Amino acid sequence: MSIGVRSEQAQVSDVELLHSVSHGDEAALARLYDRHRAVLFGLLLRILNNRDEAEDVLQDVFIQVWRRAGDFDASRGKPFTWLVTLARSRAIDRLRSLGSRQRTALNAAENEAEQVSDALADTARSEQRQIVERALAELPDDQRHALVLAYLDGMTQSEIATVLGTPLGTIKTRMRSGMNKLRTLLKPHQDNFGYSGKA
Amino acid sequence: MTHEAYKELLAASALSALDGEDARSLELHLEQCDDCRRELLDCQETAALIALSTKPVEPSAAIRQTVLTSVHREAGRRERDDAGAVGTKAAALVLPFAQSRGSGRRYYGSFGTIAASLVFVASLIALFTVWQQNRSAKAELARLKTEMSRTNDQLARERAVVALLTSPGARMTELAGTEVARDARAMLAYDKTGHAMLMAKGLPAAPNGMAYQLWFIKDSKKMPGRVFKTDSSGNGTLEDQIPTSAMDSAVFAITLEPESGVKVPTGAIYLVSSSS
Repeated sequence: MSIGVRSEQAQVSDVELLHSVSHGDEAALARLYDRHRAVLFGLLLRILNNRDEAEDVLQDVFIQVWRRAGDFDASRGKPFTWLVTLARSRAIDRLRSLGSRQRTALNAAENEAEQVSDALADTARSEQRQIVERALAELPDDQRHALVLAYLDGMTQSEIATVLGTPLGTIKTRMRSGMNKLRTLLKPHQDNFGYSGKA
Repeated sequence: MTHEAYKELLAASALSALDGEDARSLELHLEQCDDCRRELLDCQETAALIALSTKPVEPSAAIRQTVLTSVHREAGRRERDDAGAVGTKAAALVLPFAQSRGSGRRYYGSFGTIAASLVFVASLIALFTVWQQNRSAKAELARLKTEMSRTNDQLARERAVVALLTSPGARMTELAGTEVARDARAMLAYDKTGHAMLMAKGLPAAPNGMAYQLWFIKDSKKMPGRVFKTDSSGNGTLEDQIPTSAMDSAVFAITLEPESGVKVPTGAIYLVSSSS
């Protein structure tokens, strides 16, 4: 099954844009921002559960993209992976720096992450989302839970073990099994994802 | 830890979920294990796709502007720093070569230091040459831009004169240099509405605080026009409006006056037209 390719990809690839950014092209950074802001902001909002914090981190992420675009190595991964890793890493650093008290407060705050608009989710993106959601849904509950707690709640393996009251070794196994299965499920689609830098 | 044990950690590493000690241990292993490095990259690609399971959300429009303003400022600073950093960086790079340690390796160390110094000096010379060429190119570019701008201005003026002369009822009057500026001459073109353009040549440079002023003289009445300065070649241009009363049978003259202009001529006449 193939997934639709987003229209703007037909123009300039993310790899080319990052290359231009590394040479000081401000317009290329603007295009990267326009292309990825909604997905990255959705992710940041899901992790931080606070709009102000998420916007602050989003801003920081793109300033880092501007400064570090030269570090991106297309032979070591796709631009989307690089951007998401950068965004998620910043968000988790922020989450961990907030401390458990503030994290609890954020989690108990109005559930802004749910008050989001789907207006931006064009057909291709919705399709991509569905594929990832379907793949996650195919994982056994305990494996999916371990992945989500790590990926979207920024917990380490030992924190997950404590929260779930499960031995650390079990969490490690669940995480690896879950990731392996997810790789297998998404592998047939990965090259067709609109975020590939090969466009 | 065995290779298989490290492989157990890769998924967690891609999810940033490793605890401190495991993370450090895996980092060391990755430096020497291609197989684990490849698998980690694969896990990271997969992990990134989990981001697509979250709903896309539009951030505030102000964030885009803030980001672009920040990078624009940073780009400006970077350009300025690049221009001034060559000397500082070179000095910083030179320092380590002055420190030689270890008696057993002194000979090789000295030889290596000399070779490295030569390479460094050669690189520095090359860098300096490129920097100089870049500076020259920039200066040349600036000169060409100025010249192009001047040519464009000249062209625009000439086009305006042509447009003026080809308009219905257009007239042209020549002004000749007087005794104080024998080589000077000028042409005044104007249309039936009185819109006039003066193009003068060969005028001496006006002293500081002084400029040339155009006069419309009719029946001994001297009506002031605008002031203008000349360039280094003695050329000057002026656009003005001829008073209605001076449209017929007027004499045009150019005098040297204070640069703010005067209501009554006080200086010498440099150019004058014959009575028409």
